[in-house]
Amino acid sequence: MALRKGDGVKIFLGLWIAAVIYSMFLVVPQYVGLGDAGRIIIVHVPVAWITSAAFFLSAIYSIIYLWKRNPTSDVAAVAAAEVGTLYCIFATITGSIFAEVVWGTFWNWDPRETSILVLLLIYAAYFALRSSVDDSERRRRLAAVYNIFAAVTMPFLLFVAPRVADSTLHPNCAFLQGSKCEGVSLSLSGAKIGQLGDVVIELKSLTKTDDLTQATIEVRMPGMKNVATLIPTLDSAGKPADRPEFPGQQFRMVLLEADATAGTVRVNMQAPGTNLLSNPRTLWVFLASNLGFLALAFWLYQIRRTILQVQLTLTPGEMNI
Amino acid sequence: MIDPQIWRATRAIFVREWRSELRNRQALNAVALFAICSVVTVSLGLGPLMRSTEVGLVHAAFVWVILLFAAFTALSRVFVVEEEQRTAAALRLAAPPIAVYLGKLCFNLVLLLGLTILVTVLAIVLLNIRVGAYDLLIGMLLSGALALVAGTTLVAAIIARSSSRGALFAVLSLPILIPMLVTAVRGTALAFAGVSWERGMAPIQTLLAYAVAMFVASLFLFATVWE
Repeated sequence: MALRKGDGVKIFLGLWIAAVIYSMFLVVPQYVGLGDAGRIIIVHVPVAWITSAAFFLSAIYSIIYLWKRNPTSDVAAVAAAEVGTLYCIFATITGSIFAEVVWGTFWNWDPRETSILVLLLIYAAYFALRSSVDDSERRRRLAAVYNIFAAVTMPFLLFVAPRVADSTLHPNCAFLQGSKCEGVSLSLSGAKIGQLGDVVIELKSLTKTDDLTQATIEVRMPGMKNVATLIPTLDSAGKPADRPEFPGQQFRMVLLEADATAGTVRVNMQAPGTNLLSNPRTLWVFLASNLGFLALAFWLYQIRRTILQVQLTLTPGEMNI
Repeated sequence: MIDPQIWRATRAIFVREWRSELRNRQALNAVALFAICSVVTVSLGLGPLMRSTEVGLVHAAFVWVILLFAAFTALSRVFVVEEEQRTAAALRLAAPPIAVYLGKLCFNLVLLLGLTILVTVLAIVLLNIRVGAYDLLIGMLLSGALALVAGTTLVAAIIARSSSRGALFAVLSLPILIPMLVTAVRGTALAFAGVSWERGMAPIQTLLAYAVAMFVASLFLFATVWE
């Protein structure tokens, strides 16, 4: 029996995702400093942004529903929210695993972790609301209003709150070069204590020899799990020399600037091997993963949308999701 | 230009809410007692640990957690009562939706401001909080209360029209309130620490921006919920 066009696409998508998973483990080189744990980024990043895209799509369909009052738009909003929930759970799990390996804890309330959790709670609340309204027209209307209202808070959650709160380990400064993360400035005569992500750091002393400037910095890890003294150095050309590792983590402390006379330093947190995507094999697998997971999300969305549409056509008042 | 009739209707609904509340004092009694019990329990339960002046962020978090849960108890009532007493239909006929929303919002705001004063004063006394910058603290609490009310009044209208009202209000509100809560807790801790207005302005601006965004979204969406 000849394969239908749809079956061909499904098989191709299955093979594509299988190839991405295979490449993730066997083609992509180890991320220096993070070892095999770094491979999870190939899956985590695409899944996380598709979650946000699905939420955005769901909110758009909710706006269209309130505008046109056509139940089909509500069906599309629900289908997008369901796919988003699935991806959100996956993003949370993969992120937690990575956090345990890199930061030594499954959950440390990093602003990005908080935002993905809130997204999950919003999806859960959206479905809880739908299941607690009996009248189908009212259910669609109230769910659409809540979806739009929740979407209004997302810019605050994603962009504003993380900047008002402490700095985060997430937005690329620890992973990719060329970021705008400027590190933390400390002074022996002024602000001795600062924070890098969740780690509290305190400048104890600053000494200068002929060829090295040496800062002694006490670090206190989240929850006071570990307290250690790190000594990063700067060579005579003003370039970072020793980059000691944070206790229990695979990040290193780097001394970016130091003025021994004024007693001031600027330090930051770095992954030992930066520029993950500069490796062509990693870059291509990452792009293929983005395409694969996007296509998978679209396919799941189409399936769910079709099922809900059929349910709506057969029993217009009974779509109780 | 807004129709003066809307202002009159808004004022009438606000006054009606207070009359009705002062007649039975359900929200006032329950919420005030809840707030007092919460602060006393925290002070008793955590004892000397909480009476240390070194834990500004923990103090700020407790103040906002108590305010949040008191708000969950109080703020949903404005619309739930209309549905329970079957007066919603009459209100729909008597006033335009925007006036209903504004009237209820103002009532919730005044109620929450009273609650905020009560909780903060009690917390300062019982938890031995040293406030470094009172003016900043007042600014932070005012903008926080505005943000909290703007974020919950529409949700109160939504849950009033569902079947499981009490539990659902917290479930629907919490994810929406997290951005403002994070900001309010950090900002209040800064006020306790006594930082300058320059440093304390960022959280206040964020809270006000959040309040404006939620207020505008609510104005657009309320008529759909209320119809």
